[in-house]
Amino acid sequence: MGNMKKTQEMLMNSIFDVFEKMFFVFLEPCDEEMKYDMITSIEFAGSVKGDIRAYLSTGIANFMVENMLGLGANEITDKTREDCAKEALNMIAGSFVNKLDASSVFDLSIPSYEKKSGRFGMASPGKLNLVFDSDGLFLGISMNMVDGGK
Amino acid sequence: MSFNVLIVDDSSAMRAVIKKVIGLSGFKMDSCLEAGNGREAMELLSEQWVDVIISDINMPEVNGLEFLELLRENETLKEIPVIMITTEASEQRMQGAFDRGAKGFIKKPFLPEEIKRVLYEVIGVGSDGQYEEDTRDADEFDF
Repeated sequence: MGNMKKTQEMLMNSIFDVFEKMFFVFLEPCDEEMKYDMITSIEFAGSVKGDIRAYLSTGIANFMVENMLGLGANEITDKTREDCAKEALNMIAGSFVNKLDASSVFDLSIPSYEKKSGRFGMASPGKLNLVFDSDGLFLGISMNMVDGGK
Repeated sequence: MSFNVLIVDDSSAMRAVIKKVIGLSGFKMDSCLEAGNGREAMELLSEQWVDVIISDINMPEVNGLEFLELLRENETLKEIPVIMITTEASEQRMQGAFDRGAKGFIKKPFLPEEIKRVLYEVIGVGSDGQYEEDTRDADEFDF
């Protein structure tokens, strides 16, 4: 239980760090279920292995693009949203595994992306699910981890 | 004095951010080339010289470490300073990059000041964006 809490804290700090530094988005944890419009996924393998998924609403993806790239609303395309979403997850995963075990080398997969809508919430057995809110824009993160990686 | 820069990253968003940050830092760029992986970068370098390379590690086809090895095998290109900018920055990974000839390392996520600092250090540019002349006497070098 203690380890899970520590792992959650490391993941949350990685998420906050990435979103604040690269996207100027300040997130607050929340307990609500959220609607998403796209999913990005990444796998990691090192002393432990697992995967992280990010569930983003179009609203938060647009805000990320505007802030990161300085684009106006009418300049944002599906491609720029996809790119930002994948890069965000890439950085979160990299930061997280470094916090998890700085002495181990981790391999990160190239992030995948899927334009898909649905609802994401907190309860999911065996997975760490987190939802964040930034002034009504939502981000969901789920992580699945197993010991004894490569 | 202005410089030619090559940014190598499979994320076009990240390439755009790095380019923007370099520009805003006052670093004088003559040109800024972009490549999505090490293979594309080598193709660009076969046609145009650059003064500094900023490269990600985790890329498809030819990754950043493989790219460093390709550069090192080339008598001319191995002289170009390379700064690695990457997410997964374990000590072993960093050492692996330095062992292959990288001159600087920046962890993502980064603040704009970090890119500026490392870029200026690696290429020997002062805070005013001008090239710093090496003023050491000849007898300070161990030939």
